[in-house]
Amino acid sequence: MKQAKRLIKAPVFALMILSSTACVTSTVQDARTGLTGINEGESVVIMAKSYHLGNETEMKYIRCIEDNLARGSKGLRVIPHDEFIDSLFPWFEPRTAPAETKNLAKLMDRPGVADKIAEQGIRYIIWLDGDTDRVAGGGSLSCAAGPGGGGCFGFAWWQNDADYDASVWDLEGLESAGTVSADVSGTSFMPALVIPLPFIARTQSKACKTLADQLHSFIVQDESV
Amino acid sequence: MNRTALLGILLAGLISGCGSNVTLKAPTIPEPLLEQIPMSIGLRMPENFENFVHEEKVYGREEWSINLGRSNAAFFEQLFGHMFADVTVLGPNDDPQLLPLDALIEPSIDAFEFSTPDQSKTDAFAVWIRYRLRVYDREGKLVSNWPVSAYGKSLTTKMNSSDALERAAILAMRDAAALMIMKFDNVTRISALADQPGTESEPADASQTDEEEDTEVQTTALEGSQDEAG
Repeated sequence: MKQAKRLIKAPVFALMILSSTACVTSTVQDARTGLTGINEGESVVIMAKSYHLGNETEMKYIRCIEDNLARGSKGLRVIPHDEFIDSLFPWFEPRTAPAETKNLAKLMDRPGVADKIAEQGIRYIIWLDGDTDRVAGGGSLSCAAGPGGGGCFGFAWWQNDADYDASVWDLEGLESAGTVSADVSGTSFMPALVIPLPFIARTQSKACKTLADQLHSFIVQDESV
Repeated sequence: MNRTALLGILLAGLISGCGSNVTLKAPTIPEPLLEQIPMSIGLRMPENFENFVHEEKVYGREEWSINLGRSNAAFFEQLFGHMFADVTVLGPNDDPQLLPLDALIEPSIDAFEFSTPDQSKTDAFAVWIRYRLRVYDREGKLVSNWPVSAYGKSLTTKMNSSDALERAAILAMRDAAALMIMKFDNVTRISALADQPGTESEPADASQTDEEEDTEVQTTALEGSQDEAG
């Protein structure tokens, strides 16, 4: 019995060590095209690029970026994107949303648009593009159950890539302030010796945290820089 | 109920496969930012707008029943209520020529289609709705016949299938609303009917007016725009 316990403990311990090693790699970049900065009372809104253009940014990713940007004492004032879209209906629907900054001037001339944006203090619109995809996977894991009990045996792995780009539009100058991108890759494992032990790489969460932190730095950078 | 009957019901359920029923709540269209058209219009909706049910068997898979209820009726009442200064919803027996209306609009639904994640090999439900808007002048003459194609898509993540499909349908309705707000007057020339006696003009050619408008409107994309122009 003791020997059996030892047999199970050894690989579990080894896998726990393995899981503590880096399974997620990330790259974050930004390209600035204008000065940024944000004043008291000004806010940002996070939007997904239109699905009419094939974009598939997940709703939960947008909410994650919103939460991370707003978090903490130095958090930004974030207007929830659905509230923003409703308040400016129909000009930020997937069909009608401006695709380029050159369309902003015309948008601002539409009845009530500039007033609604000013009312909410929106200084920046951040457009997200990208998604998280499973790019590879393998292994084999099977489970069986019988009258005496059940269990799983095998090993499975998969790799997720989270690639997101954020375009920052400055509504003060009606121009682009630049872009920030995060590229995160994570490999998850699931070995099973009777009990499956999932070692999940939080690829999307990492991409969210990384991009939100970089966006925060990008926006609050002193205007003197 | 005896055991055999219970077993029979369970077996029948297994053989027939799963069915999904989705009931759509009437959507709320946010108050749009637009210049209202100063007209008095009549709105006559088809009978099926009060209880629209779409049933479809996805080939080799499950059966879907999507009950839109009176969502379409509520949608057009709200939308035109925002777009026009005065809207009178007509019953089936009301004669529009006896009412002080500038124009009559008759929406209808040509097609309702959807795709499931299994079909599209994505994580999303998609809904396409093709409405048709017929506009009549006060003499009862058809002045415009405009097909409006709308599209909505919603990812299934953290939602059950019903929620995602419902969300996709609401997004399709909002898409239709956005298109109508942007182009209604340009395509149908309805504002020309305000306070004017019946004219001899030909029905508005939607394809020409769409092209003109496309150069002005800052749309991101017009998926299915060829249909709209049709």
